Amino acid sequence: MSRIRVWDLPIRLFHWLLVFSFIATWLTEDNDRYLDFHVFFGYLFIGLLLFRLIWGIVGSHYARFAQFHYGFKAIRDYSKSLFSSHPQHFVGHNPAGSLAIFAIISLGLIVAVSGLLTLGGEEQHGVFAGLFSFAEGEIFHEIHEISAWLLLGVVGVHIAGVVVSSFLHRENLVRSMVTGYKMTETEQPSVNLHITVAILLLTILLISSGFYFQGYFTQTPDKPYLPFVGPQLASNETWQSECSDCHLAYHPSLLPSRSWQRIFKEQSEHFGDDLALDEETLTELGNFAINYAAETEVTEIAWKINHTVPLHDIPLRITETTYWKKQHHEIEDIIWQQQNVNSKANCSACHLDAKQGTFEDGAMRIPELID
Amino acid sequence: MRSTTLLTGMVLISLWRPVFASEAVDTLLDEYRSEGVTEFSLEDGKVMWTQEFTDAETGKVRQCSTCHTADLTQEGKHEKTGKVIKPLAPSVNPERLTQIAEINKWFKRNCKWTIGRECTPQEKGNFLNFINAQ
Ligand code: HEC
Ligand code: HEC
Ligand code: HEC
Repeated sequence: MSRIRVWDLPIRLFHWLLVFSFIATWLTEDNDRYLDFHVFFGYLFIGLLLFRLIWGIVGSHYARFAQFHYGFKAIRDYSKSLFSSHPQHFVGHNPAGSLAIFAIISLGLIVAVSGLLTLGGEEQHGVFAGLFSFAEGEIFHEIHEISAWLLLGVVGVHIAGVVVSSFLHRENLVRSMVTGYKMTETEQPSVNLHITVAILLLTILLISSGFYFQGYFTQTPDKPYLPFVGPQLASNETWQSECSDCHLAYHPSLLPSRSWQRIFKEQSEHFGDDLALDEETLTELGNFAINYAAETEVTEIAWKINHTVPLHDIPLRITETTYWKKQHHEIEDIIWQQQNVNSKANCSACHLDAKQGTFEDGAMRIPELID
Repeated sequence: MRSTTLLTGMVLISLWRPVFASEAVDTLLDEYRSEGVTEFSLEDGKVMWTQEFTDAETGKVRQCSTCHTADLTQEGKHEKTGKVIKPLAPSVNPERLTQIAEINKWFKRNCKWTIGRECTPQEKGNFLNFINAQ
């Protein structure tokens, strides 16, 4: 028996960084506030997979795909031997492990690419921004979620496999992936450590995360950092001055044009206020609202609202639409009532880009509870 | 004929206007006079500023000071929406009481909201005198 290095440093780094980014994307998946982190870990994930593809060709001996034992016969023989008294032993990846790696890499690529497509379609950000519609983005989102769950399943099988074969062969595979060493019966050379490549990988990771998150280090209380900046929406001076006195001047893209028509028709009964606007002003405001209403679908929220408000329904409030309610149902009553929020309609209490009307992910901050 | 008398009247009044009064306020006070008001009272304006009215629908007490606070040199806050309102006092916010259309619009809105009806020319004149002196 001799102790040899099987896994070079880049492979081990790849493995544990992939584990880390996989967990991190799951943890940041639920809350849109952290979409920028989710996307960063997604980039890390896809970057690692691409590196693995290259390393599978030019890397050290056991890392090369050409060294993998796979194919139907290899797997059948290996599975059979597991139930015999002399299970087959492989120094590198065994056939099941090889298969798991191929499955993880290919499914991982599907998850990552569909994630980038979702970002491009639903949010109009990232490398695919502007190429796909919101509706297409939603389809990519479905694919992204389904493939992520499948990947989670494959990872589960992979872990189970590691546990089972560690037990069968009385070797700690997890420790091997940390230290790089395994025991072999046959005389075989250790692989090169490839420390330069490992340092290069870490340096790229450090520099790119510095670039990606630099906004958080340079922000000031007056000018908080917005990870995603939405499109510049149409504006109108009269709208800005007439509608911003009592509350935020809601951008017209937040309600369908029939809602705005109703709001102006009922201007003397405006949520308990009489707007008392003259005909000329009303005409100007009405035209602006109708030209830039939710039907223009300029942002994700405009698209969602235009899609989800039933045609026979003419909501007077954004906060009454099912889409808005769905986005905010997790927020507790105590938050709405506290004095720095005061009302559900006070969007700018939580959304840093409420004035612009873009309501981007990552721009919401629930104000601290004050006693 | 009527407009010339009005014009002469305006010129005459502008000769003895108080130092802080803006042209917009003068024009409006004139308008109220032409509607039959003879005298304006700063004191009455001040009293009505904090007078309590009960809203028929919500049963809540409403005052001008609900949104503007009792000290007009301070920032106020819209009671329902929470939006900050810049001070009304012309001494700290020179843009106040300079535009007739604005003043008319806000009198209509705020009187209806606070008192439940539009204000009379007498009440509006009193308010203007009171706010203008802040
Ligand atoms: C005189 C004060 C006042 C002015 C001026 C005003 N509003 Fe409002 N508006 C209100 C109040 C009060 C509410 C109810 C707010 C609440 O429930 O928190 C409201 C609510 C709204 C809402 C519903 C918000 C929601 O989703 O709950 C819309 C839309 C709206 N206003 C549009 C406008 C537009 C457009 C203008 C400009 C023409 C305008 N408002 C000007 C007082 C005003
Ligand atoms: C009390 C704070 C608060 C207020 C006030 C508020 N929001 Fe939100 N909003 C949030 C939070 C938090 C989320 C994120 C929910 C999540 O993803 O878990 C959110 C999510 C959203 C989203 C979805 C963003 C996305 O792409 O996922 C939109 C759109 C939105 N809000 C619009 C509005 C509008 C319009 C108003 C005003 C009428 C408003 N919000 C008022 C806290 C608030
Ligand atoms: C519900 C809240 C609210 C109440 C109550 C209220 N106001 Fe106002 N008022 C406002 C807002 C909002 C503005 C516009 C603020 C701005 O231009 O920044 C305003 C503006 C005004 C202006 C216009 C000043 C200018 O030239 O810009 C006058 C005058 C005024 N209010 C008088 C009154 C009087 C008199 C009362 C009581 C009868 C009253 N307000 C009660 C909210 C209120």
